This record gives sequence, structure tokens and C-alpha cells, in this order.
Amino acid sequence: MKASLLVSQVLNGLATGMLYALMGIGLSIITGVLNIPNFAHGALFALGAYSLYTVIQLVGNFWLALALAPLGVGLLGVLIEYGGIRPLYKAGHDYQLLLTFGLSLIVTEGIIIVWSPVGMSQLPPPVLRGGVDLGITFYPKYRLFVMVAAGLLVLGAWLFLEKTRYGAIMRAGIEDKEMVSLLGIDIHRLFTAAFALGCAMAGIAGALTAPIRGLNPWMGVDMLGIAFVVVALAGLGNLLGSIVAGLLVGVAQSLVALFWPEASVAVIFAVMAAILLVRPQGLFGIR
Amino acid sequence: MKAWLAILAAVVLLPVFVRHAIATEIWIFAIFGLGLNLLMGYTGLLSFGQATFFGSAAYVAGYLLKYYGINLFLALGIGVLVGAVSAAVVGYLCVQRSGLYFIMLTFALNQMFFFTAYQWTTVTGGEDGMPGIPRPTVLGLDIHGPLAYYATVAGLFLVSLWVMKRIVESPLGKILQAIRENEPRAEALGYDVSRMKLVAFVVGGAFSGLAGVLYAMLFGIVPLEAIGFVFSGNVVFATLIGGSGSLYGPVIGSFVFIWLSESVSAMWARWPLLLGVAFVIVVLFFRGGVVEAWARFWAWRAARRAPAGARVDAPR
Repeated sequence: MKASLLVSQVLNGLATGMLYALMGIGLSIITGVLNIPNFAHGALFALGAYSLYTVIQLVGNFWLALALAPLGVGLLGVLIEYGGIRPLYKAGHDYQLLLTFGLSLIVTEGIIIVWSPVGMSQLPPPVLRGGVDLGITFYPKYRLFVMVAAGLLVLGAWLFLEKTRYGAIMRAGIEDKEMVSLLGIDIHRLFTAAFALGCAMAGIAGALTAPIRGLNPWMGVDMLGIAFVVVALAGLGNLLGSIVAGLLVGVAQSLVALFWPEASVAVIFAVMAAILLVRPQGLFGIR
Repeated sequence: MKAWLAILAAVVLLPVFVRHAIATEIWIFAIFGLGLNLLMGYTGLLSFGQATFFGSAAYVAGYLLKYYGINLFLALGIGVLVGAVSAAVVGYLCVQRSGLYFIMLTFALNQMFFFTAYQWTTVTGGEDGMPGIPRPTVLGLDIHGPLAYYATVAGLFLVSLWVMKRIVESPLGKILQAIRENEPRAEALGYDVSRMKLVAFVVGGAFSGLAGVLYAMLFGIVPLEAIGFVFSGNVVFATLIGGSGSLYGPVIGSFVFIWLSESVSAMWARWPLLLGVAFVIVVLFFRGGVVEAWARFWAWRAARRAPAGARVDAPR
């Protein structure tokens, strides 16, 4: 095997791994704060990609689209939390989960109706087309950009959660909701904010993915499973864990794709199963 | 007793009113739902990966039926076995974590089986499914005809329902309910909670496996969807519509679900949208399912008829 191929596959793995981490962190915030495994997370990922596509069609500006797509998905998140999840606070988490499952069907079918069931492709912006010579291998500019952009977003999420007041409230919400509301914090507003933030992260992950993998209505399905894997391995609200788990899964997947492409998706879950056999609590999990 | 009479009447009357294939599918889905409800309703474990066992059993038994022409009893036995064994493997990983992690793990492992089936095209046919599955002859009886096959499935459903009734009323069933009500307490009483959960998982898997084989023989094909996560979600939903609190809930739920989805899927290609809307409406407004809505209706009527001052409050 040529070294250049190996290097570019590892880089591919790091780029997709960063996106997995982004998905995982978004899901982790929602699951941690609201106690719901958001089954609509994959569908919202797809919606982010389609929003990017449409804004580019309308305005022709990639950067504006990249900013608007997560904003739109985040706003939808506010609506979902307000209209659907809030009335179910007392009903129990099973029902909130089923609600998000129903919503995932609605969003996916909505995408098919509004756009089309046929896959589409999206070019990166002109600045990011073509490749860069890294010495050992040529590598597409856009993928490097995704690596950096996703990395910055993860860093931003870390700064937000660790260094700001609101982030501290959110972390406290993951630890102990009752205590947070006893301290006089509006826990319902916290829930809405956390849900919207998580949805927006899924939206931007989808938008960043569109120029790499193209778009189809079911693009979120395997992403949802991967996001669950990242959370199960990292533990709720664990940012560092999510990054490590995301990168691990991404690199494992792209390396397996080199010699056994058919198994490249199944291997993600096999990696998870293997890790959980040795460490049932996950890589860093305490709970 | 009254419930059994109603179910017997339904078994006899159903093929008169709906197409045989749909009637058969209803009882198959009910068997699938019974298995899930042991987890969801009785143990309090929401499994989002029941299609794993359903689909695995359908593929393995379907393969053996197709290429080795095994007989019916062997096919059913293998289906139950594959369902139980795959559930034991998946369950072993899942019961180590609780709550949300448990749900996410059942789903993630479901995805693993799905993508394996999707890519292993030489055996499963991938997206095209595995067609050409025969219905074998049993003891000289021909079950090719739709009505004969319906009778076979309905009989197996009645047996499954009886077995499940015995299980939930047995000491094991009581322990599972104790786990649902208060897990730390069940543990403090000396029960090995994760082992009991695993037992529930394996029994539920065996029921799913039986349903999977019957499904494969009904349509003569194992479609890829049979192992997909939407299928797992559907059985959760069907059980929920029926009411997960009772033994008969999944039976009623599967009747409503199959009948509804067969009627709307004939009307519109985008019917999963309607299914999603139905999910949301049921969850927001009819959480107790048909069984509870029925009980509420009768309590409401009783309250209206009762003289003032002797009013009975509706449950919840």
C-alpha cells in the first residue's frame, strides 16, 4: 500500500471524525440536559445540508448559507422543544423519545416532498476547490477546511461550556436539574436553549458535510447511529471524550474502507461493541 | 376469559373482513409486539432495536428454507433460536448500561446489523431483499394457500399469547415488574437485575425471531426494511398505541397499526409522513393507548350514569 494513500485516508478519517464529534457533542448536550436521546438528530443533520443547498441556490453565497443553515435548524429546534417536548415534561422520557422519532419521519419525508428523493450534489465554494500539496500527498482543500472549521466549532463549544456563565448553567443542568432550578434558574428556558443549540450543531455538521458526500434524504440515518456511538463511548456532556470517540470512529472507518470498503460502516459499531465489552462505562464515562 | 373470547372471535372473523395477507400480518406483528412488551411494558426497558432479532431470524431461516428446503418446524425453531441468540449477544452489551444509554445502544447495534445486511449482498440481496422463500409443507398439510397460512399464523399467535401470559404471571414476570417499579429495591432484595434484564431480552428476542420467520414466509421475501430501525420504531409505536401497560395492548396496537399503515400506504407514497404525524398526535394526546382510552371512556360513562355524590373518578 502506498504511504500517500494511507496518509490521505487518515486525513479523511480525521475530517469525518471531527464532524462525528460535532454531531456527538450536539446530541450529548440535548441528551444530557433534557434526558432525551434525540432521534430527530440525524434528520436535522440532513435538513442542515438541504438548507445550505437551497440558500446557495437562492443567494449564491456559500458562507451566508453556512451561517443560515444552522440558524434555521436551531430555530426549528426551538419550535420542537416549545411545542412538542415541553408538554411532555411530566409524561416521561419514553414519550419524548417517541415524539422525536415521529419528528424524524416527518422531517425526512418533508425533505423528500420539498426537494426530491433523488440525491443531489453540492460543490464547495470556489476558494476551496482543488487540492493542496502536503508533501506526501495531494489533499482536497475543502476537506482541510472542514477539519479546521469543525475543530474551531468544537473549540467554540468547549469555550462556551467551560468559560461562560450560560455554559456553566448548562453543565450544571446535565449534572443535577433539580439543584439548578432550586438556585432560581429558569430550567425550562435552559431546556429550550440546550435543545436549540444541539439542533444547530447537527445543522452545521450537515451543512459542512454536503459538499463532501452530497445530499440525499436518508443521509442522516447512519449519522444518527454514529452520534449515539460517540455519546455512548464518551459519556454525556464530555467534550474531550466526544472528540476522541469521534476521531477514533472516523479514522477506524476510513482505514477499514481501504481494504474492506463494504464493512466500513458496520465497523463503527463493532469498534463500539469492542470498547464497551472491555469498558462498559465507555471511554471516560463515570455514569 | 372475556379477553380470550374476544381474541378468538377476532381470529375467526378477521379474514372475513380484511385481505388474508393483512390479517396474517396483524397476528405476526402482534407476536413481535408481545416480545417487545415484555421489555417495554413489564421490565421498563425501552428497546429500540427489536428489528435486529426479527430481521436476523428472517434472514437465517429464510436462507435455509430457500437453499436447503428445511421443514416448517425446523424453520420456526431456527427462527426462535436465532432471535434468542442475537438478543443474548446484543442484550449482553446493552444491559450493562441503563436508561438513555441502553436505548442508544439497542439502536446503534440495530444499525450494525442493518449495515451488515445491506452490504452482504451475496447472502441477503442487500437493498433488493432476499426473495424466493417457500412455505414448506407440514405433516402432509399444504399451507400454501392464504387461508391455510393465516390459520397457521393465527394458531401460533394464540400459543405465543398463552406462553407470554404464563411468563408475565410467573415469578420471573413478577421480578421483571419489580425491576420496572424500583430497580435499586429489586437489587436490594437480592435479585441479579442485569441477569433478569438479559433473560427478558432473550425471551423478547425469541418472540421477535418467531415473528421474523413467519413474516419471511408470508411475503416470500425478506426485505431490507425488516432489519431496519424504522421497523424497530414501528413496533414500539404499535405497542404504544395499544397500551404498553397490559398483555393485550400490543395485540390491539398491531391491529390498529397494520390496518392503518396498509390503508394509508395504498393511498400515498409518502405515507411515512402520516405515520410520523400519527406518532406525534398519539404521544401528545393519547399516551395511554387504546386500552386506556377505552377504560377512560367507560369510567366517564359510569360517572355520568352514577347518581350525584357517588361519582367515580376516571383513572389519571
